[in-house]
Amino acid sequence: MAATSPESSLSSFSTTAYTPSTTAYTPSTTTQAISSSGFNFPTYTSFPPFYTLQPNLTTRTHQLELWSTLISSYCAYYRIFRLSLSSLPTDLFSNANIHRSLKPGDVRTVLDHMSKPENGPRIDWIPSTTRNEQSSSCYVYWKTPGEWADALHGWVDETGQKGTVLTVYELREGDAVRSKEWRDMDEGMLRKVLNVLVKRGKAQIFGQEENAGVKFF
Amino acid sequence: MASNRRGVGLSAFSNAAISSDQYARHGQQLRTSHADALANQLSVFQAALHNFSLTHAKDIRSNPTFRAEFARMCNAIGVDPLAGSNVKGAAASGGKAGSVWAKMLGSSVNDFYFELAVRVVEVCRETRSENGGMIAISEVQKRITKGRAGLVGGGMEVTEDDIMRAIESLEPLGGMFKTQTLGGSRFIRSVPKELNPDQSTVLEVIQVLGYVTVSMMQANLAWERARAIAVIDDLVADSLVWVDSQGEETEFWSPASMHEGG
Repeated sequence: MAATSPESSLSSFSTTAYTPSTTAYTPSTTTQAISSSGFNFPTYTSFPPFYTLQPNLTTRTHQLELWSTLISSYCAYYRIFRLSLSSLPTDLFSNANIHRSLKPGDVRTVLDHMSKPENGPRIDWIPSTTRNEQSSSCYVYWKTPGEWADALHGWVDETGQKGTVLTVYELREGDAVRSKEWRDMDEGMLRKVLNVLVKRGKAQIFGQEENAGVKFF
Repeated sequence: MASNRRGVGLSAFSNAAISSDQYARHGQQLRTSHADALANQLSVFQAALHNFSLTHAKDIRSNPTFRAEFARMCNAIGVDPLAGSNVKGAAASGGKAGSVWAKMLGSSVNDFYFELAVRVVEVCRETRSENGGMIAISEVQKRITKGRAGLVGGGMEVTEDDIMRAIESLEPLGGMFKTQTLGGSRFIRSVPKELNPDQSTVLEVIQVLGYVTVSMMQANLAWERARAIAVIDDLVADSLVWVDSQGEETEFWSPASMHEGG
Protein backbone atom coordinates (compact mmCIF):
# COMPACT_ATOMS: atom_id res chain seq x y z
CA MET A 1 0.00 0.00 0.00
CA ALA A 2 1.44 3.38 -0.99
CA ALA A 3 2.18 5.65 1.89
CA THR A 4 -0.30 8.49 2.10
CA SER A 5 0.95 12.05 2.57
CA PRO A 6 1.07 13.17 6.19
CA GLU A 7 -1.64 15.82 5.76
CA SER A 8 -4.26 13.56 4.26
CA SER A 9 -3.51 10.67 6.59
CA LEU A 10 -3.85 12.94 9.60
CA SER A 11 -7.29 14.13 8.56
CA SER A 12 -8.48 10.60 7.98
CA PHE A 13 -6.88 9.40 11.17
CA SER A 14 -8.94 6.89 13.03
CA THR A 15 -8.27 4.90 16.12
CA THR A 16 -10.77 2.23 15.19
CA ALA A 17 -8.09 0.46 13.18
CA TYR A 18 -6.45 -0.28 16.51
CA THR A 19 -8.19 0.21 19.78
CA PRO A 20 -5.86 0.70 22.70
CA SER A 21 -6.66 -1.20 25.83
CA THR A 22 -6.63 1.85 28.06
CA THR A 23 -9.06 4.71 27.72
CA ALA A 24 -7.88 7.72 25.76
CA TYR A 25 -5.95 10.15 27.86
CA THR A 26 -7.79 13.33 28.71
CA PRO A 27 -5.73 15.83 30.69
CA SER A 28 -7.46 16.54 33.96
CA THR A 29 -8.46 20.11 34.55
CA THR A 30 -7.99 19.77 38.27
CA THR A 31 -5.13 18.15 40.05
CA GLN A 32 -5.90 14.61 41.04
CA ALA A 33 -6.73 14.04 44.68
CA ILE A 34 -7.45 10.65 46.14
CA SER A 35 -9.37 12.06 49.11
CA SER A 36 -11.42 15.23 49.22
CA SER A 37 -9.07 16.85 51.65
CA GLY A 38 -5.59 15.49 51.45
CA PHE A 39 -2.33 15.66 49.62
CA ASN A 40 -2.52 17.70 46.44
CA PHE A 41 -1.02 15.37 43.83
CA PRO A 42 0.82 17.23 41.06
CA THR A 43 -0.60 16.83 37.57
CA TYR A 44 2.25 14.65 36.43
CA THR A 45 1.02 11.85 38.69
CA SER A 46 -1.76 11.38 36.14
CA PHE A 47 0.76 11.04 33.33
CA PRO A 48 0.98 7.31 32.58
CA PRO A 49 4.68 7.21 31.56
CA PHE A 50 5.55 8.62 34.99
CA TYR A 51 5.20 5.06 36.31
CA THR A 52 7.61 3.52 33.77
CA LEU A 53 11.32 3.92 34.36
CA GLN A 54 12.36 5.89 31.28
CA PRO A 55 14.90 4.29 28.92
CA ASN A 56 16.39 7.63 27.88
CA LEU A 57 18.88 8.54 30.62
CA THR A 58 18.36 12.30 30.38
CA THR A 59 14.63 11.83 30.70
CA ARG A 60 15.14 9.29 33.47
CA THR A 61 17.24 11.66 35.55
CA HIS A 62 14.49 14.24 35.34
CA GLN A 63 11.89 11.60 36.16
CA LEU A 64 13.82 10.51 39.25
CA GLU A 65 13.91 14.13 40.36
CA LEU A 66 10.13 14.42 39.99
CA TRP A 67 9.66 11.22 42.01
CA SER A 68 12.03 12.49 44.70
CA THR A 69 10.12 15.73 45.03
CA LEU A 70 6.81 13.89 45.09
CA ILE A 71 7.91 11.42 47.78
CA SER A 72 9.43 14.15 49.94
CA SER A 73 6.32 16.36 49.70
CA TYR A 74 3.95 13.44 50.32
CA CYS A 75 5.87 12.27 53.38
CA ALA A 76 6.10 15.83 54.70
CA TYR A 77 2.34 16.28 54.27
CA TYR A 78 1.45 13.04 56.06
CA ARG A 79 4.41 13.27 58.43
CA ILE A 80 5.81 9.93 57.34
CA PHE A 81 9.28 9.39 58.75
CA ARG A 82 9.84 5.86 57.53
CA LEU A 83 8.97 3.91 54.40
CA SER A 84 8.85 0.16 54.29
CA LEU A 85 9.00 -1.55 50.90
CA SER A 86 6.60 -4.24 52.06
CA SER A 87 3.88 -1.74 52.93
CA LEU A 88 4.25 1.34 50.79
CA PRO A 89 1.43 3.92 50.62
CA THR A 90 -0.47 2.85 47.49
CA ASP A 91 -1.66 6.28 46.44
CA LEU A 92 1.92 7.52 46.40
CA PHE A 93 3.33 4.93 44.03
CA SER A 94 0.27 4.18 41.92
CA ASN A 95 -2.67 5.90 40.34
CA ALA A 96 -5.80 3.77 40.25
CA ASN A 97 -7.56 6.12 37.82
CA ILE A 98 -5.08 5.39 35.05
CA HIS A 99 -4.20 1.84 36.16
CA ARG A 100 -0.53 2.55 36.55
CA SER A 101 1.92 1.87 39.35
CA LEU A 102 5.64 2.05 39.88
CA LYS A 103 7.12 -1.45 39.92
CA PRO A 104 8.77 -2.49 43.20
CA GLY A 105 12.19 -2.72 41.56
CA ASP A 106 11.74 0.81 40.21
CA VAL A 107 10.65 2.06 43.63
CA ARG A 108 14.00 0.86 44.90
CA THR A 109 15.75 2.66 42.03
CA VAL A 110 14.01 5.89 42.99
CA LEU A 111 14.90 5.49 46.66
CA ASP A 112 18.50 4.65 45.74
CA HIS A 113 18.60 7.91 43.81
CA MET A 114 17.29 9.76 46.85
CA SER A 115 19.81 8.07 49.15
CA LYS A 116 22.81 9.53 47.31
CA PRO A 117 24.54 12.34 49.22
CA GLU A 118 24.62 14.51 46.09
CA ASN A 119 20.83 14.24 45.97
CA GLY A 120 20.33 15.19 49.60
CA PRO A 121 20.35 12.56 50.80
CA ARG A 122 16.58 12.68 51.05
CA ILE A 123 16.25 9.14 52.32
CA ASP A 124 18.54 6.90 54.35
CA TRP A 125 18.40 3.11 53.97
CA ILE A 126 18.00 1.28 57.26
CA PRO A 127 20.37 -1.71 57.26
CA SER A 128 18.56 -5.03 57.29
CA THR A 129 18.75 -7.07 60.48
CA THR A 130 19.30 -10.18 58.40
CA ARG A 131 22.85 -10.58 57.18
CA ASN A 132 23.48 -10.14 53.46
CA GLU A 133 19.94 -9.05 52.89
CA GLN A 134 19.12 -5.87 51.06
CA SER A 135 17.60 -3.10 53.08
CA SER A 136 13.83 -2.96 52.81
CA SER A 137 13.04 0.22 54.70
CA CYS A 138 14.35 3.73 54.94
CA TYR A 139 14.01 6.98 56.85
CA VAL A 140 12.60 9.85 54.86
CA TYR A 141 14.34 13.17 55.34
CA TRP A 142 11.74 15.71 54.30
CA LYS A 143 13.78 17.68 56.80
CA THR A 144 17.43 16.70 57.17
CA PRO A 145 18.69 15.38 60.52
CA GLY A 146 20.57 18.68 60.83
CA GLU A 147 17.35 20.67 60.35
CA TRP A 148 15.54 18.50 62.89
CA ALA A 149 18.42 19.02 65.31
CA ASP A 150 18.03 22.79 64.95
CA ALA A 151 14.28 22.57 65.49
CA LEU A 152 14.60 20.32 68.53
CA HIS A 153 17.30 22.36 70.14
CA GLY A 154 15.47 25.57 69.38
CA TRP A 155 12.38 24.32 71.17
CA VAL A 156 14.40 23.17 74.18
CA ASP A 157 16.02 26.60 74.34
CA GLU A 158 12.77 28.58 73.96
CA THR A 159 11.01 26.56 76.63
CA GLY A 160 13.88 27.05 79.07
CA GLN A 161 14.59 23.33 79.29
CA LYS A 162 18.32 23.52 78.76
CA GLY A 163 20.01 21.66 81.57
CA THR A 164 17.00 19.49 82.40
CA VAL A 165 16.93 15.83 81.44
CA LEU A 166 14.17 14.83 79.05
CA THR A 167 13.31 11.27 78.15
CA VAL A 168 13.18 10.04 74.57
CA TYR A 169 9.52 9.26 75.21
CA GLU A 170 8.82 12.86 76.23
CA LEU A 171 10.62 14.18 73.19
CA ARG A 172 8.60 11.93 70.90
CA GLU A 173 5.17 11.70 72.50
CA GLY A 174 4.99 14.09 75.42
CA ASP A 175 2.13 16.58 75.79
CA ALA A 176 4.57 19.41 75.38
CA VAL A 177 5.49 18.35 71.86
CA ARG A 178 1.96 17.66 70.64
CA SER A 179 2.04 20.58 68.25
CA LYS A 180 5.60 19.99 67.14
CA GLU A 181 6.48 18.64 63.71
CA TRP A 182 8.73 15.93 65.10
CA ARG A 183 6.09 14.37 67.34
CA ASP A 184 5.82 10.61 66.84
CA MET A 185 9.06 10.62 64.89
CA ASP A 186 10.37 7.11 64.35
CA GLU A 187 12.60 6.40 67.33
CA GLY A 188 15.56 5.29 65.26
CA MET A 189 15.42 8.56 63.38
CA LEU A 190 15.12 10.61 66.55
CA ARG A 191 18.31 8.99 67.79
CA LYS A 192 20.07 10.02 64.61
CA VAL A 193 18.91 13.58 65.23
CA LEU A 194 20.06 13.46 68.84
CA ASN A 195 23.43 12.14 67.72
CA VAL A 196 23.81 15.21 65.52
CA LEU A 197 23.29 17.36 68.60
CA VAL A 198 25.72 15.22 70.58
CA LYS A 199 28.35 15.72 67.88
CA ARG A 200 27.73 19.44 68.01
CA GLY A 201 28.23 19.33 71.75
CA LYS A 202 24.65 20.46 72.30
CA ALA A 203 23.32 17.34 73.98
CA GLN A 204 24.26 14.31 76.01
CA ILE A 205 22.45 10.96 76.15
CA PHE A 206 22.19 8.85 79.31
CA GLY A 207 20.93 5.30 79.56
CA GLN A 208 19.49 2.99 76.98
CA GLU A 209 16.32 2.29 75.01
CA GLU A 210 13.12 4.17 75.78
CA ASN A 211 14.25 5.12 79.23
CA ALA A 212 17.19 7.02 77.84
CA GLY A 213 17.44 10.57 78.99
CA VAL A 214 18.76 13.52 77.06
CA LYS A 215 20.29 16.64 78.50
CA PHE A 216 20.56 19.67 76.24
CA PHE A 217 23.17 22.40 76.51
CA MET B 1 -15.35 79.53 -31.31
CA ALA B 2 -12.29 77.51 -30.82
CA SER B 3 -11.17 77.40 -27.23
CA ASN B 4 -8.07 79.29 -26.29
CA ARG B 5 -6.68 76.23 -24.70
CA ARG B 6 -6.57 74.03 -27.67
CA GLY B 7 -4.51 76.59 -29.51
CA VAL B 8 -3.56 75.25 -32.94
CA GLY B 9 -0.46 76.11 -34.77
CA LEU B 10 2.71 77.65 -33.39
CA SER B 11 0.93 79.53 -30.64
CA ALA B 12 -0.45 76.29 -29.38
CA PHE B 13 3.08 75.01 -29.08
CA SER B 14 4.25 77.85 -26.90
CA ASN B 15 1.00 77.75 -24.87
CA ALA B 16 1.55 74.14 -24.06
CA ALA B 17 5.13 74.81 -23.10
CA ILE B 18 4.08 77.69 -20.83
CA SER B 19 1.36 75.53 -19.27
CA SER B 20 3.54 72.56 -18.58
CA ASP B 21 6.23 74.82 -17.16
CA GLN B 22 3.64 76.48 -14.96
CA TYR B 23 2.31 73.12 -13.98
CA ALA B 24 5.78 71.91 -13.23
CA ARG B 25 6.52 74.91 -11.06
CA HIS B 26 3.17 74.70 -9.37
CA GLY B 27 3.66 71.03 -8.74
CA GLN B 28 7.10 71.73 -7.26
CA GLN B 29 5.56 74.33 -4.95
CA LEU B 30 2.90 71.92 -3.87
CA ARG B 31 5.44 69.23 -3.17
CA THR B 32 7.57 71.58 -1.13
CA SER B 33 4.68 72.87 0.94
CA HIS B 34 3.37 69.34 1.34
CA ALA B 35 6.77 68.12 2.42
CA ASP B 36 7.07 70.96 4.91
CA ALA B 37 3.63 70.28 6.30
CA LEU B 38 4.43 66.61 6.53
CA ALA B 39 7.76 67.19 8.24
CA ASN B 40 6.02 69.44 10.70
CA GLN B 41 3.29 66.91 11.37
CA LEU B 42 5.92 64.22 11.73
CA SER B 43 7.93 66.08 14.33
CA VAL B 44 4.78 66.81 16.30
CA PHE B 45 3.89 63.14 16.04
CA GLN B 46 7.38 62.04 17.05
CA ALA B 47 7.25 64.18 20.17
CA ALA B 48 3.80 62.90 21.04
CA LEU B 49 4.83 59.29 20.55
CA HIS B 50 7.93 59.77 22.66
CA ASN B 51 5.93 61.31 25.49
CA PHE B 52 3.32 58.63 25.13
CA SER B 53 5.80 55.81 25.55
CA LEU B 54 7.38 57.51 28.55
CA THR B 55 4.13 58.09 30.39
CA HIS B 56 2.86 54.64 29.53
CA ALA B 57 6.06 52.70 30.18
CA LYS B 58 4.38 51.23 33.23
CA ASP B 59 1.41 50.09 31.18
CA ILE B 60 3.62 48.60 28.53
CA ARG B 61 5.23 46.45 31.19
CA SER B 62 2.15 45.37 33.06
CA ASN B 63 -0.72 45.25 30.58
CA PRO B 64 -0.71 42.64 27.81
CA THR B 65 -3.78 44.06 26.06
CA PHE B 66 -2.10 47.45 25.93
CA ARG B 67 1.01 45.88 24.48
CA ALA B 68 -0.99 44.12 21.80
CA GLU B 69 -2.68 47.38 20.80
CA PHE B 70 0.62 49.22 20.88
CA ALA B 71 2.23 46.62 18.65
CA ARG B 72 -0.73 46.75 16.26
CA MET B 73 -0.44 50.51 16.00
CA CYS B 74 3.27 50.33 15.37
CA ASN B 75 2.79 47.76 12.63
CA ALA B 76 0.03 49.85 11.06
CA ILE B 77 2.33 52.85 10.70
CA GLY B 78 5.16 50.64 9.53
CA VAL B 79 7.26 50.76 12.65
CA ASP B 80 8.86 47.79 14.35
CA PRO B 81 8.37 48.37 18.09
CA LEU B 82 11.56 46.41 18.69
CA ALA B 83 13.52 48.29 16.02
CA GLY B 84 16.28 49.13 18.49
CA SER B 85 16.99 45.51 19.42
CA ASN B 86 16.50 43.92 16.02
CA VAL B 87 19.20 44.94 13.54
CA LYS B 88 17.27 43.40 10.62
CA GLY B 89 14.16 45.35 11.55
CA ALA B 90 16.08 48.61 11.76
CA ALA B 91 17.57 48.03 8.35
CA ALA B 92 14.19 47.19 6.88
CA SER B 93 12.55 50.34 8.17
CA GLY B 94 15.38 52.43 6.80
CA GLY B 95 18.39 52.15 9.01
CA LYS B 96 18.63 55.54 10.63
CA ALA B 97 14.87 55.91 10.62
CA GLY B 98 14.54 52.63 12.49
CA SER B 99 16.75 53.72 15.33
CA VAL B 100 15.07 57.13 15.47
CA TRP B 101 11.80 55.33 16.11
CA ALA B 102 13.44 53.17 18.75
CA LYS B 103 14.74 56.29 20.48
CA MET B 104 11.27 57.81 20.44
CA LEU B 105 9.56 54.71 21.75
CA GLY B 106 11.98 54.69 24.59
CA SER B 107 13.75 51.80 26.18
CA SER B 108 10.68 50.48 28.01
CA VAL B 109 9.38 48.45 25.10
CA ASN B 110 12.76 47.01 24.21
CA ASP B 111 13.58 46.26 27.85
CA PHE B 112 10.34 44.43 28.34
CA TYR B 113 10.81 42.13 25.38
CA PHE B 114 14.46 41.61 26.20
CA GLU B 115 13.60 40.53 29.73
CA LEU B 116 10.88 38.28 28.37
CA ALA B 117 13.32 36.73 25.90
CA VAL B 118 15.67 35.96 28.80
CA ARG B 119 12.83 34.25 30.66
CA VAL B 120 11.92 32.21 27.60
CA VAL B 121 15.51 31.03 27.25
CA GLU B 122 15.56 30.10 30.96
CA VAL B 123 12.34 28.11 30.75
CA CYS B 124 13.54 26.23 27.67
CA ARG B 125 16.82 25.36 29.35
CA GLU B 126 15.18 24.24 32.60
CA THR B 127 12.70 21.98 30.84
CA ARG B 128 15.02 20.49 28.24
CA SER B 129 15.58 17.26 30.16
CA GLU B 130 11.82 16.80 30.36
CA ASN B 131 10.84 17.60 26.78
CA GLY B 132 13.98 17.27 24.67
CA GLY B 133 13.84 20.92 23.63
CA MET B 134 10.28 21.05 22.27
CA ILE B 135 7.94 22.99 24.52
CA ALA B 136 4.43 24.24 23.88
CA ILE B 137 4.16 28.02 23.88
CA SER B 138 1.18 27.70 26.20
CA GLU B 139 3.38 25.95 28.74
CA VAL B 140 6.09 28.62 28.42
CA GLN B 141 3.43 31.25 28.98
CA LYS B 142 2.15 29.49 32.07
CA ARG B 143 5.59 29.07 33.59
CA ILE B 144 6.63 32.66 32.95
CA THR B 145 3.38 33.99 34.40
CA LYS B 146 3.94 31.87 37.48
CA GLY B 147 7.43 33.30 37.94
CA ARG B 148 10.73 31.84 38.99
CA ALA B 149 10.59 29.31 41.80
CA GLY B 150 11.29 30.83 45.19
CA LEU B 151 11.03 34.45 44.05
CA VAL B 152 8.01 36.43 45.19
CA GLY B 153 6.28 38.53 42.58
CA GLY B 154 8.68 37.42 39.89
CA GLY B 155 6.04 36.46 37.36
CA MET B 156 5.53 38.44 34.17
CA GLU B 157 2.02 38.75 32.81
CA VAL B 158 2.56 37.87 29.17
CA THR B 159 0.57 36.52 26.25
CA GLU B 160 1.61 33.94 23.69
CA ASP B 161 1.95 36.77 21.15
CA ASP B 162 4.33 38.57 23.48
CA ILE B 163 6.42 35.41 23.61
CA MET B 164 6.42 35.14 19.80
CA ARG B 165 7.64 38.75 19.55
CA ALA B 166 10.33 38.12 22.13
CA ILE B 167 11.55 35.05 20.22
CA GLU B 168 11.66 37.03 17.00
CA SER B 169 13.92 39.53 18.71
CA LEU B 170 16.34 36.66 19.36
CA GLU B 171 16.81 36.15 15.61
CA PRO B 172 20.12 38.06 15.42
CA LEU B 173 21.59 35.63 17.97
CA GLY B 174 21.74 32.92 15.36
CA GLY B 175 18.28 31.43 15.24
CA MET B 176 18.65 29.09 18.16
CA PHE B 177 14.94 29.32 18.81
CA LYS B 178 12.45 28.28 16.17
CA THR B 179 8.73 27.79 16.34
CA GLN B 180 6.81 24.87 14.92
CA THR B 181 3.11 24.06 14.86
CA LEU B 182 2.13 20.53 15.77
CA GLY B 183 -1.51 19.46 15.76
CA GLY B 184 -2.71 23.04 16.05
CA SER B 185 -0.48 23.98 18.97
CA ARG B 186 2.56 26.19 18.65
CA PHE B 187 5.86 24.85 19.97
CA ILE B 188 9.25 26.41 20.58
CA ARG B 189 12.26 24.34 19.55
CA SER B 190 15.39 25.24 21.48
CA VAL B 191 17.69 22.48 20.24
CA PRO B 192 19.49 22.72 16.91
CA LYS B 193 18.37 19.34 15.61
CA GLU B 194 15.41 19.73 13.29
CA LEU B 195 12.61 17.20 13.13
CA ASN B 196 12.44 15.24 9.90
CA PRO B 197 8.97 14.87 8.29
CA ASP B 198 8.32 11.43 9.82
CA GLN B 199 9.21 12.67 13.30
CA SER B 200 7.02 15.75 12.87
CA THR B 201 4.14 13.55 11.75
CA VAL B 202 4.40 11.30 14.79
CA LEU B 203 4.65 14.25 17.18
CA GLU B 204 1.59 15.78 15.56
CA VAL B 205 -0.33 12.55 16.01
CA ILE B 206 0.70 12.40 19.65
CA GLN B 207 -0.32 16.03 20.11
CA VAL B 208 -3.78 15.23 18.77
CA LEU B 209 -4.33 11.83 20.39
CA GLY B 210 -2.20 12.09 23.51
CA TYR B 211 -0.09 9.05 22.70
CA VAL B 212 0.79 6.64 19.93
CA THR B 213 1.77 2.99 19.60
CA VAL B 214 3.68 1.24 16.82
CA SER B 215 0.48 -0.52 15.73
CA MET B 216 -1.37 2.78 15.53
CA MET B 217 1.36 4.18 13.31
CA GLN B 218 1.24 1.11 11.09
CA ALA B 219 -2.52 1.07 10.82
CA ASN B 220 -3.15 4.77 10.32
CA LEU B 221 -0.05 6.09 8.61
CA ALA B 222 0.39 2.95 6.50
CA TRP B 223 3.99 2.69 7.65
CA GLU B 224 5.94 -0.51 7.79
CA ARG B 225 6.71 -1.67 11.28
CA ALA B 226 10.44 -1.05 10.84
CA ARG B 227 9.82 2.53 9.78
CA ALA B 228 7.53 3.21 12.72
CA ILE B 229 10.00 1.69 15.16
CA ALA B 230 12.91 3.66 13.68
CA VAL B 231 11.05 6.95 14.03
CA ILE B 232 9.89 6.30 17.56
CA ASP B 233 13.38 5.16 18.58
CA ASP B 234 14.71 8.49 17.30
CA LEU B 235 12.13 10.41 19.28
CA VAL B 236 12.94 8.48 22.46
CA ALA B 237 16.67 8.99 21.92
CA ASP B 238 16.08 12.75 21.58
CA SER B 239 14.03 12.83 24.82
CA LEU B 240 11.05 14.09 22.85
CA VAL B 241 8.64 11.40 24.05
CA TRP B 242 8.09 9.42 27.23
CA VAL B 243 7.55 5.66 27.28
CA ASP B 244 4.65 3.89 28.98
CA SER B 245 5.17 0.13 29.14
CA GLN B 246 2.18 -0.77 31.28
CA GLY B 247 -0.42 -0.83 28.53
CA GLU B 248 -1.12 -3.80 26.28
CA GLU B 249 1.31 -2.31 23.81
CA THR B 250 4.08 0.16 24.56
CA GLU B 251 2.70 3.69 24.38
CA PHE B 252 4.66 6.82 23.54
CA TRP B 253 3.48 10.08 25.07
CA SER B 254 4.36 13.72 24.61
CA PRO B 255 5.57 15.47 27.76
CA ALA B 256 3.42 18.42 26.70
CA SER B 257 0.47 16.94 28.57
CA MET B 258 2.48 16.27 31.72
CA HIS B 259 1.70 19.49 33.54
CA GLU B 260 -1.57 20.36 31.84
CA GLY B 261 -4.31 21.40 34.18
CA GLY B 262 -1.82 22.14 36.89
